[in-house]
Amino acid sequence: MITRARVERVLFLAFAAFMLAVPWLVPALTNPFWVDVIAEILIWSLFAASVNLLFGYVGLLSFGQALYFGFGMYGVAIATTDLGLSFWPAFIFGILAAVVMAWVTGIFAVRLTWHYFAIITVVFSLIFYFLALSMKWLTGGDDGISFTLPPTFSIGGTSLSFTSATFQYFFILATVSLCFYLKYRLIESPLGKAFMAIRDNDVRASLIGLNTYRIRLVAFLIAGFLAGVSGALFAFFGRYASATYMFYQVSGEGVVWAIVGGAGTLLGPIVGTSLFIVIRELVSTHWEHHSLIVGVMAILVVIFAPRGIVGLWRDSLGRVFEPHGRPAEYELRTEP
Amino acid sequence: MYDEPNQLWQRFAALTRNAYMDKLLLLATNGLIWGLIIALIALGLSIIFGLLDIINIAHGDFFMVGTVLAWAILRSTGSFWPAFILVPLIGFVLGALIQRVVIQPIHNAAALSIVATFGLSLILQEGVRMTFGPTPRRILPPIHGTIGLFGVEYEVYRLFAAVVSIAALGAFFAFLRSTKLGTWMRAVRHDRDTALAMGIPANRIYVLTFAIGFGLAALGGVVAAPITTVDFRGGVDILPFCFMAVIIGGLGNLLGTAAAAILLAFLEGIIQSFADPTAARIASLVLMSAVLLLRPQGLFKGLAR
Repeated sequence: MITRARVERVLFLAFAAFMLAVPWLVPALTNPFWVDVIAEILIWSLFAASVNLLFGYVGLLSFGQALYFGFGMYGVAIATTDLGLSFWPAFIFGILAAVVMAWVTGIFAVRLTWHYFAIITVVFSLIFYFLALSMKWLTGGDDGISFTLPPTFSIGGTSLSFTSATFQYFFILATVSLCFYLKYRLIESPLGKAFMAIRDNDVRASLIGLNTYRIRLVAFLIAGFLAGVSGALFAFFGRYASATYMFYQVSGEGVVWAIVGGAGTLLGPIVGTSLFIVIRELVSTHWEHHSLIVGVMAILVVIFAPRGIVGLWRDSLGRVFEPHGRPAEYELRTEP
Repeated sequence: MYDEPNQLWQRFAALTRNAYMDKLLLLATNGLIWGLIIALIALGLSIIFGLLDIINIAHGDFFMVGTVLAWAILRSTGSFWPAFILVPLIGFVLGALIQRVVIQPIHNAAALSIVATFGLSLILQEGVRMTFGPTPRRILPPIHGTIGLFGVEYEVYRLFAAVVSIAALGAFFAFLRSTKLGTWMRAVRHDRDTALAMGIPANRIYVLTFAIGFGLAALGGVVAAPITTVDFRGGVDILPFCFMAVIIGGLGNLLGTAAAAILLAFLEGIIQSFADPTAARIASLVLMSAVLLLRPQGLFKGLAR
């Protein structure tokens, strides 16, 4: 019997097969340039996933995730240029920089919720954005830092590097998949259930003995980790780090991707990010005002599919397979 | 030996009239006037937030649209003054329209409103870039001339801008306090359900609020247009500043918001006299985080709401 779960499993396997075949399939079908676009989508969906973890699962709308993305990015760039580290140490250095930053800011930020949380996260990211702009000796300011790829790294005797486009793609795919798998395991774990309990009603959650402050801080750290990994990957991918990626508009794009894809769903961020980046790449070569389309789409999705594209998909599948059942009640509660 | 009082005063004046003091006074006055304009914009942000429970990411762009409309009207009529009347009215109509089309359908989902207004911000910015063009332009002040102020030559237009802003702020508070619509707005903000039960058309009040918010931002835009540059990204820098004013003044506290806007811009002006503008911005952001964490109800909780 065809059920929703089976349809979704088949689709997921097809998706996984496609992702593995990308470096050969895409150049055969269209332009090899799209392999890089898909790699970029993967990196940015990890960034959207970090927004989604906080908003969709803990009910905290962060408007400052670009800060941790930027720290991952600068961590890698500074580690390779100023410290002369090789690939893995630079990668770890970037991620650590983001997590430490998430810890330092999170201690303060998660004391607040809802509007106040959204605003304090954007304030923190703006402070460091302006600092990065003015500390030109370290960050290169507006121009950023361009760097050459760090010394190649080797796994089991073979040395590999990002200069190979195929290897670069698979490294990004593997890292992003691993992060999504960890996020999936996290959501299924008791800690993930605690996240959702706090999202649904933080007063009740604290009454059954959950330490809401500490759990929110842990979620904030993990979200900072995800954003840091995506920033570090993006630095290797573009061989570049710049303060512009720490501006609040980048955070805003992450929020839009996550909510349009479907907040509180595992694959929603991938769907939302793919949609917007594919539109950007398709349109921007013909028409420079592609942001107009992005803006209209964001508004349309919010009005007509408030649960995001994944939510819309689930609703329509539910109507096909359970025509007499009522759609599950779903409400994203974020206010205290 | 003692100086004559007059001599003493002259010494003091000479001491204070050095280059630094001149610069300080100039920047502080600039900051004060800029703060009055920001207060207009931030008030719009604050009433939209207080009544509709919406964090309006597009609010800076409402200001930007005001500056661009001022430029367009100046260009087509050859005079700046029609813009003063027309731009706030156009802003009002645009605000009502946007509320109907974009905000009304998602009213019950505050989180989604951030996405919607972010989309709106992209549309406004890109729409302006498409029609107005990507190059920043300048508008010459419609009132020429300078006047001596604290020993420096000061642009008359800036003083005029301050007067207009103060008048608009006063008119807005008078409207809120002593007209029927203003009372309704306060009632809906205070308790929507009771207001509805008393027969107040809450949905129309929402439209009105959003329209006034856009109108105030557009007025700020037209007043500021000859002082700043007209640019499609002009709202991006304004937005964080307005949010700072709203937070430091206290969410939903209108008088506090106006006071905070003026105070912040004044402080940034003073800091700019000895450090670069980025440092001034960082200082106000740090102040804002401290306020958020220590006094989330704002610095001016005691002010009448």
